[in-house]
Amino acid sequence: MSEEILKALMQLFALITKQDGGIGQKEIDYVNRFLVQQIGVDSAKEYLQLYKETAEEKEPDEEKKPAAEKKPTEEPPRKKLTSVLDSVKVLKLCKQISKTINQRQKMVVLVRILELINAEYNLTEQRLGIVKTVSDIFRISKEEYESIFTFVTSYQPEEFTLENHLVVADSIEKTSPSYRHYQFDGIDTPLFFLRIPSVELYFVKYPGEHEAYLNGHIVNPGVIYLFASGSSLRLHVGQPIYYSDIATHFMADLSLEKITLEADQLSYSFPGGVTGLQNVSFSAHQGNLVGIMGSSGSGKTTLLNTLSGMYRPDDGHVRINNLDLWTDADQLHGVSGFVPQDDLLIEELTVFENLYFSAKFCFKQLSDKEVREKVNATLTNLGLIEKKDLKVGSVMNKTISGGQRKRLNIALELIREPSILFLDEPTSGLSSRDSENVMDLLRELTLKGKLVFVVIHQPSSELYKMFDRVVILDFGGRLVYYGNPVEAVIHFKEVDNQVNAGVGECPICGNAHPEQIFNIIEAQQVDEFGNYTNQRKVNPHTWQEIFVEKTLDDPLSPLKASSSPESPPPVNLNVPGWFRQLINYLRRDIRSKINNMQYLLMILLVSPALALILSYIIRYIADPTSNTYVFRENENIPIYIFMSLIAALFVGLIVSAEEIFKDRKILKREKFLHLSRSSYLLAKIGTLIVISAIQSIAFVLIANQILEIRQMTLPYWLALFSTAVCANLIGLVISSAFNSAVTIYIVIPLVMIPLMVLSGAMFSFEKLNRKITSIDRVPLIAELIPTKWTYEALMVNQFKNNEFEKNFYDYEKRISYNNFKSAYLIPQLEERFNDCIYEFRENGTINTSASALDVLKNEILQWQGAVKDIHFKDSELEPHVFSESTIDKVNAFLSDLKRYYINQFSIANREKERHLGKLMKERRSVYFSMLDKYHNEAIADYVKKIYEKNKLIEYEGRLYQQIDPIFLDPIPSGFLGIRSHFYAPRKYFLGRYYDTFNFNIGFIWFLTLMLYIVLYYDLVGRAIRTKWLKPKP
Amino acid sequence: MDTLRLEQTDDSPSILLDKESSQFEISGKSLPEDVVDFYQPVLDWLQTYQSEPNPKTEFNFKLIYFNTASSKLILDILMIFEEMVQEGHEILVKWYSIKSDEDMQEAGKEYEEMVDVPFEHIAYEL
Repeated sequence: MSEEILKALMQLFALITKQDGGIGQKEIDYVNRFLVQQIGVDSAKEYLQLYKETAEEKEPDEEKKPAAEKKPTEEPPRKKLTSVLDSVKVLKLCKQISKTINQRQKMVVLVRILELINAEYNLTEQRLGIVKTVSDIFRISKEEYESIFTFVTSYQPEEFTLENHLVVADSIEKTSPSYRHYQFDGIDTPLFFLRIPSVELYFVKYPGEHEAYLNGHIVNPGVIYLFASGSSLRLHVGQPIYYSDIATHFMADLSLEKITLEADQLSYSFPGGVTGLQNVSFSAHQGNLVGIMGSSGSGKTTLLNTLSGMYRPDDGHVRINNLDLWTDADQLHGVSGFVPQDDLLIEELTVFENLYFSAKFCFKQLSDKEVREKVNATLTNLGLIEKKDLKVGSVMNKTISGGQRKRLNIALELIREPSILFLDEPTSGLSSRDSENVMDLLRELTLKGKLVFVVIHQPSSELYKMFDRVVILDFGGRLVYYGNPVEAVIHFKEVDNQVNAGVGECPICGNAHPEQIFNIIEAQQVDEFGNYTNQRKVNPHTWQEIFVEKTLDDPLSPLKASSSPESPPPVNLNVPGWFRQLINYLRRDIRSKINNMQYLLMILLVSPALALILSYIIRYIADPTSNTYVFRENENIPIYIFMSLIAALFVGLIVSAEEIFKDRKILKREKFLHLSRSSYLLAKIGTLIVISAIQSIAFVLIANQILEIRQMTLPYWLALFSTAVCANLIGLVISSAFNSAVTIYIVIPLVMIPLMVLSGAMFSFEKLNRKITSIDRVPLIAELIPTKWTYEALMVNQFKNNEFEKNFYDYEKRISYNNFKSAYLIPQLEERFNDCIYEFRENGTINTSASALDVLKNEILQWQGAVKDIHFKDSELEPHVFSESTIDKVNAFLSDLKRYYINQFSIANREKERHLGKLMKERRSVYFSMLDKYHNEAIADYVKKIYEKNKLIEYEGRLYQQIDPIFLDPIPSGFLGIRSHFYAPRKYFLGRYYDTFNFNIGFIWFLTLMLYIVLYYDLVGRAIRTKWLKPKP
Repeated sequence: MDTLRLEQTDDSPSILLDKESSQFEISGKSLPEDVVDFYQPVLDWLQTYQSEPNPKTEFNFKLIYFNTASSKLILDILMIFEEMVQEGHEILVKWYSIKSDEDMQEAGKEYEEMVDVPFEHIAYEL
């Protein structure tokens, strides 16, 4: 209270009490007591002097002045009159006071004034006239003035008949009393309570003779005390009376829903075996604001998570209205709300949008308009309506204050009015003013009959006293106290044998210091040298026992639930169906992207920029004397294909890699609401697919235009788009699996590099480490690489299906096939056979050339029946049956075969020539321009492997073709065998051949689907968490 | 605008509020049983007047006595004047008091301090 206000108050007091007989001793005493209470003994004197002076100085003055005396004589009134000057002075003082103090304080001032003039029971009309005017200026309603007046001036229960009075007594007279009463066992003298509803203030008056303590301070009989939130009144017998008892009793008329929450012997251990909670029991009911306190690491958050159902207790039960949180989960779904410590806001969305999208998930039954109205109403309630169109921004980049942020976070849950609300450190990081605002908000909720649990770390005295009950935990998750907060201080001081143990709060300032509790709990032993040791005086286990013992024989122990209703508390949560969730998620994702202009610009511009850079740099003209770009001669096209895929991959990864990670906190909450993960994921993927589609079409249009890749827009777009979507999924998997942004960005190269190396473009698959290569097909590990599929798809397609090559491909394929057989394969077999013949004729046996014979056998058996009249039996080509007749037979066979292939080769060649000749005759120039425009030599070299030195290689008794992979159909390894060599023109699957491009694109979408499954079940994340990173206790 | 005219009684002042002739005056004693009831018509009249006032308003307070409750209503009247001054209208409060009644004179000065309205203090002999 400021000096100015106190002075004004003293003058006001004086002006009132000087009327009608002047000040009496009791009035002076009262003012003195008031002052001592406000500012302490020392300063009180000064102000008391001011009071006395103001009250007395004028009186003699006025007697001297004729005016004052004239007034009553000139106009002889029947009653004494207040001088006009006093009236105006009162007016002025009230205006002054009114401007600086809030409504609650005004109420207290009014109570004090009435109490003052009641001190000598000198309630004259004049004095009351002034008080009434004061009350008018303070804008206190007539009804409240009346109930305060009656409360101050009455002493008998029968007199407390007004609505906002409450008489607390042990037994009430038989006849039903005309006043509101509350039976409280063990009270000898009735206590009187006053409630001022407009500001939610309570006052108490205790007229009894016995000792009574309010928050540990002695109560003077007949004096009115403010019964502030968190207060307790102890009488010499019976249970203390708590603020919440009184508040809920007044509220009882509002027919609040009954809610009880009972923790019964809760124990919880972390997966690593660290104890989180040990035998924690207590119960709370509607209207309670329960604080959970304890040092860091004592299990506060664990308790909150267990109570809210995030953790399943190993032992014990959490019961809400006698329903088990886990076994009756269906009935309790949506009863409670959870506000974690983390920020749950989406930075890019406005205050309104954040709440709106969250609300859309909770109210299936409401129309869009109703939801908007509800959101606006909630924002108005929380004083956020003026900020509704501000983007919330990040915690660092503030557009709204920390307190507003927190309130908005709470609003996300508040809007559906859960019966039980759990909050994890809602005041951490807030200024004390903001903390108070948040706590006031919670207090208000409990007054509406909700049950609120708050984990709080080091609350200020003011906040601490706002709780109805506090749970105090010590290390190892042991409950060492549960009950009234001020009593807690007393309890620990008593156990610690402190001098003024009975006093819970400072007698002068009324502060209760929760830190005292922790100082006592964690007090350390002192060694003989006076140094603190690491040993605690009292260990957690003992503290727990002390508390249990204390409450053991207490029938009214708050640890036990008194009576709980059987029906579940009301639920105000109606989650919409899967599809509507999906739509809502989509709208939220799109909105948050659109709101972020910088991001939007970047994702739209990155691909065109990359396309421009890449294609401009590699637009190579082979002929140094020419300025004409010829597509055919650009050697960079294969690398371009590879780089464009890498660009798609990289951009796809980057845009998605933080998506889920940044939502992880929001996801935790949405899991609490049982929202569908697939809706969430599909909305994310949907948004990303649209982005990827736009990015890849932009890329292809620009780059293909510059590089003059004609008639290929659709295949390139499909390949890039599919790669990007696959990369999106990989990014999502990463972002869902790892728990920090840094890790995610470290993981990206770890994913990128293998995707590049194993794409087939940088390193030939045949020339990798022997451990991973396969001789006639792509290494198994590369089959899982999306870039391998799309790179191959584009290369094969670019070569095979371009406007030029598609005229000749079939001929060239036949030519290549027959040429390989006749020019490479059969001569190789002949060579090997000659070795065998040579050894046989020299030594009569086949020994050193046995492997050559083996190859011969394997290959010849492939052609079984290919040459008329020559058949081989399996055993015929074994070394021990080798004879001259075998030689003749094989020689005949091979030369027949060779002739056949040479023949086929010439036919194919001739046909091609004929076709070519036709084209040349028609339009010679067209032919060459087509060749320049559509055919690319570098691509042809790659897919034909013309630089391959080994045309075929021998491996485990077989010969494998190494050249012209583009003309070689894969040999199916089984009905489902999809594996093939690289650059195969067709792929085999389920008994049929498919065009490589179509098949590969199909396969990458299959990979994408698999990734979705991995993502949906968060398989990677789970694997990492179970293997390496156990949750820390 | 209708003229508001209230006759003086034992415990209430006489009131004349006449826009046409530009006469505004409260005089006598003010200690009515229900102050709010008594002054409500005055405040209503003044609020209407506030929306279309004369170019210049001189308001006479010629009170001999007023009680505490009345003192608040007088302040309410003065607050309306304050608003009018802020809206740019010309207002002058003439505070009459008997020369020997220093209390009344001082009360006038206190009021002058409380609101931002021009005052003229006039002491007269009986």
